[in-house]
Amino acid sequence: MSGDHHGTNSHLAAQVRHVETLLEERGLLDASELDRALEAFLARASPANGARVVARAWLDDGFRSRLLDDANAALAEVDLSMGGGLQEQRLKVVENTAEAHNVIVCTLCSCYPIALLGPSPTWYKSEAYRSRVVREPRAVLSEFGFDLDPATEITVWDASAESRYMVLPRRPEGTEGLDEQSLAAMVTRNGLIGVAPV
Amino acid sequence: MTERFAAGTRVRTSPTDPTHHTRVPRYTRGATGTIVESQGLHPLPDDRSRGLPCEPLPVYTVRFAARDLFDEGDHAVTVDIWQTHLTPVDDEGATPHER
Amino acid sequence: MNDVGGMQGFGAVEQEPDEPPFHSDWEAHVFAMNRALIGQGVYNLDEFRDAIERMAPQHYLESSYYEKWLHAVSTLLVEKGVVTAAEVSAGEHSHD
Repeated sequence: MSGDHHGTNSHLAAQVRHVETLLEERGLLDASELDRALEAFLARASPANGARVVARAWLDDGFRSRLLDDANAALAEVDLSMGGGLQEQRLKVVENTAEAHNVIVCTLCSCYPIALLGPSPTWYKSEAYRSRVVREPRAVLSEFGFDLDPATEITVWDASAESRYMVLPRRPEGTEGLDEQSLAAMVTRNGLIGVAPV
Repeated sequence: MTERFAAGTRVRTSPTDPTHHTRVPRYTRGATGTIVESQGLHPLPDDRSRGLPCEPLPVYTVRFAARDLFDEGDHAVTVDIWQTHLTPVDDEGATPHER
Repeated sequence: MNDVGGMQGFGAVEQEPDEPPFHSDWEAHVFAMNRALIGQGVYNLDEFRDAIERMAPQHYLESSYYEKWLHAVSTLLVEKGVVTAAEVSAGEHSHD
């Protein structure tokens, strides 16, 4: 991945503080407000939200259908949203099946459903991932330890505009009778991006 | 502006490499794909990044076969592209490397 | 340089298990600062992306993700006349 740090960490921290000070002097930034907004964001947005939505879709076929049809509306049913950021973005949920597997990327920068799931993993933002997953998704998945059945078709979704994408992984075998919380605990951030089975 | 393309329409991505900011990935330029669905209307980043007036324009999810992008791969890649950068393609308009 | 889809030669995808949302406070602050500035209309998201894309290719590849963000924010603050280039770089020199 790019960037073995052009500047050292302490240098960068000092430079950020310097720019913040310049902005505070101009009334464009309030340090305590910035901290508050950060805390609120991190409290609200995390992969657990995605896991919960997936578990509900596994248990409730009507919800699953609504999630695939209009994810933003389905999120509202469970008191979740893609808002709370700069602008509410359209969420598109794509479903994995035995025949079809989905993987998400933003080749141009790092677009990701951050309002719902929190910040993306560093590898998702890397030039290595962004360049290679559109050309050789199976090889990239193998690097994640995920060897997909050769008969399964892969679709790679490049989030190059205003929609943000999330994968609905396949429900693992042998999970009959588990409740929503137990099912949600099985869902990983990597599964929601499509580089893991779940 | 009205939406021009129904799902299933074959479209070709603009081949030119603009000097300004755009959200057409280089690997899709000049390639032919199929409209999956419309994403509604959004201001064109090419204009918005330059402070130009930008009415909301239609954006589409377009599906490409990997072999039409990279000459290898059995997968598909979907990309979200503004209508401005898409041209409809008919059977006679198929590019030489298409199957 | 940002338009890397399909480019070859970047090597293995490096993974870091259980990484935190931000690796340093300064990264979180750059994230929040950018949001605050866009929210106030100092610049828009497309201008922000464009500022990153205008980085020289070598600089782009050598910079970590949030270093790119800091560069873009600083560039736009100067271009929009909020601060001067001298004011921004005064900070950079004082840490040497």
